[in-house]
Amino acid sequence: MSLLELKSVSKIYGDLKALDNVSLHVDEGEWVAIMGPSGSGKSTMMNIIGCMDKPTKGEVLLDGVDISKESSRHLTDIRRDKIGLIFQQFHMVPHLTAVENIMVSQYYHSLPDEEEALEALGRVGLRDRARHLPSQLSGGEQQRVCVARALINHPELILADEPTGNLDEANENIVLDLFAQLHKEGTTLIVVTHDQEVAAAAQRTIVLEHGRVAREVINEDFGKTL
Amino acid sequence: MANRSTQKHTMTKRKMFLRMITSSLLRRRSRMIIALFSIGIGATILAGLVTIYIDVPRQMGAQFRSYGANVLILPKDGQTLTTKALNESLSSVPPEEIVGSAPYRYVRLDMMTRQQSFTAAGTDFNQIIRTSPYFSVEGSYPASIREILVGKEIAETIGLKTGSSIELTYQPPIREETDEDAAASGDFLSGSAEGFNGALVYVTAAIDDQAKITSIAIDATTQTPQYGGQVMENEDFEAQFIGKSVPLTLGEDVDALTGATITSTAVVTALNQARRTSVPTQPRSVTYTVTGILTTGGEEEGYVFMSLDDMIAITGENKIDVAELSISASADKLSSYVEQIEENSPVAKARLVKRVARSEAAVLSKLQALVFLVTAVVLLLTMICVSTTMMAVVSERRREIGLRKALGASDESIRAEFMGEALFLGLLGGIMGAILGFAFAQVVSVNVFGSSISFQPLLLPAAILVSMAVAAASCLLPIKRAIAIDPALVLKGE
Ligand SMILES: Nc1ncnc2c1ncn2[C@@H]1O[C@H](COP(=O)(O)OP(=O)(O)OP(=O)(O)O)[C@@H](O)[C@H]1O
Ligand SMILES: [Mg+2]
Repeated sequence: MSLLELKSVSKIYGDLKALDNVSLHVDEGEWVAIMGPSGSGKSTMMNIIGCMDKPTKGEVLLDGVDISKESSRHLTDIRRDKIGLIFQQFHMVPHLTAVENIMVSQYYHSLPDEEEALEALGRVGLRDRARHLPSQLSGGEQQRVCVARALINHPELILADEPTGNLDEANENIVLDLFAQLHKEGTTLIVVTHDQEVAAAAQRTIVLEHGRVAREVINEDFGKTL
Repeated sequence: MANRSTQKHTMTKRKMFLRMITSSLLRRRSRMIIALFSIGIGATILAGLVTIYIDVPRQMGAQFRSYGANVLILPKDGQTLTTKALNESLSSVPPEEIVGSAPYRYVRLDMMTRQQSFTAAGTDFNQIIRTSPYFSVEGSYPASIREILVGKEIAETIGLKTGSSIELTYQPPIREETDEDAAASGDFLSGSAEGFNGALVYVTAAIDDQAKITSIAIDATTQTPQYGGQVMENEDFEAQFIGKSVPLTLGEDVDALTGATITSTAVVTALNQARRTSVPTQPRSVTYTVTGILTTGGEEEGYVFMSLDDMIAITGENKIDVAELSISASADKLSSYVEQIEENSPVAKARLVKRVARSEAAVLSKLQALVFLVTAVVLLLTMICVSTTMMAVVSERRREIGLRKALGASDESIRAEFMGEALFLGLLGGIMGAILGFAFAQVVSVNVFGSSISFQPLLLPAAILVSMAVAAASCLLPIKRAIAIDPALVLKGE
């Protein structure tokens, strides 16, 4: 069943087409990787899917709702209820501790629950860093907190923009294992990456070039390496 | 998740809200301190000014009192005013508000040797100190009989000095003999002595050929009504004096009234010190000693001042022409006292001394308008300052705000969080302002008005409320900015 559908989506900045007539289809529960050179429009597409930006042209259907036409207030609701975001530059509230940063996400979604937040930190191996401020955490640790924050509200769709860009081999594996687990639980994953290995973990890889879909690669080996 | 106990979790949500706000303030201390200081200093100045604003009327009232009397008491047409009637007429004014009440009896006295005449005033010097504090005496105020104060003008024209003697003559008015006058004529004793609290008790007693007392009139209106004041109403006490002649001894000739020992003593002392006088039919001359020269900068410098006792002794009349009152009360209250005095007293009427009373009100309202203006300016400055700081805070926290929005914060949540921080700052600033503001007002009051002020209990909640309101108002624009932040742009940047 289709969760996400982009129909001829374009995003135009002046005379630059960041996205140029992109059509895309993602099924519920699918794990998709997006690759492409820098400036090819990956983040632009993620922002549009993540209800943070609107396309200049085209339709974006999320769960059957055309989010390209929604008001920003409604987009906030949709983002909060359905989507977990992991940003290219990991972002945390600087004056809140790791566990509090996760609770902020719970707070906006429904109700903060410290126990659950600590559990999520445990899943990314940071339980003992729960009371540290972002400035006291390494880049990789901060990125893992962001991963834990993205999955805390059990979103239908996780959008990750370079989630492993700052991680070493071991940490990258922690995150990939987590994604595999979420995939098993039925979460839809769209992961932007430059890393072949990370892309190889997904079911399908979409390659963007100059704002267009250059090609699609189905991972025949999916499930075998894990 | 939705079917968890809501009660428990709404609490958690509020707790989380407070936790976010307090960590934002506590962990970003430098910013918080700047914002807190702008609110706190604003609140301090406001609280200080408001305290002074509230206290100024009281302060100014006391200040103006020292520039003279604000109410005059005069006899009603065809009536005679006595010290007794004067004190009775003041029953409608709360005693603690009466700063002083000085009786005056004015007559012309002649200095035969110089062929000159002066206005002489009989008064109570203890009261003059209070109603006319601007009187400046070189030498001292008269303390015993036949002592006078002369105005500087007279002293200069005649060449009088402290210690000089001067003979003054009273020319009785030419009057037609009537039955009433005949009855009133004859000798009498008139004197006064200090009773309870140093207030004067006046006694007048008619005497016959053998100097025996035939009737007595006591004026103890300055004494406490339930105690010393009883001597006026007790006929048995007065009856003891009839048929006796001075000097009298308390305990032998006359028994003290129970509960009124001090006043009884004063009555006897007054009689023993009293001078024999009569309504004169011939010019009467008395030699006085000058104890002081009076400088006032006004017409009083052309007057001679003597005690009311001396005045009664020379004129043979116990009456006053006017009394100057200094009452510490607002203009509205003063007017109502004036009306009450008119209504209650059969003989006395009261008049506001318009010039002082009016200028007092005018200066007050100007002063309050000034404080009001300064308050408004300070409020505005505080708001600009807090607003600027909050603006800086918002741009400093753009990324964080964008992140919160990306995480699903609605515009209302963003507004609530910033408002919460602002109100929290307002609360702290208000507490700080109330305490420091009171200290500030105290310092100003002591230095400018020379008196301390009491803490207004309402000041604390008022300061907190106002600074919270100011903080909230200052945040409206910064919050608008925060809400307009586009999460996509902010999160992409850097
Ligand atoms: N707000 C904007 N205004 C103008 N141009 C923009 C804006 N945002 C993105 N672009 C441009 O759109 C193009 C696509 O940008 P995008 O961030 O999607 O690239 P990307 O594929 O995520 O690259 P990277 O791998 O470096 O993250 C770039 O050329 C970028 O300069
Ligand atoms: Mg990008």
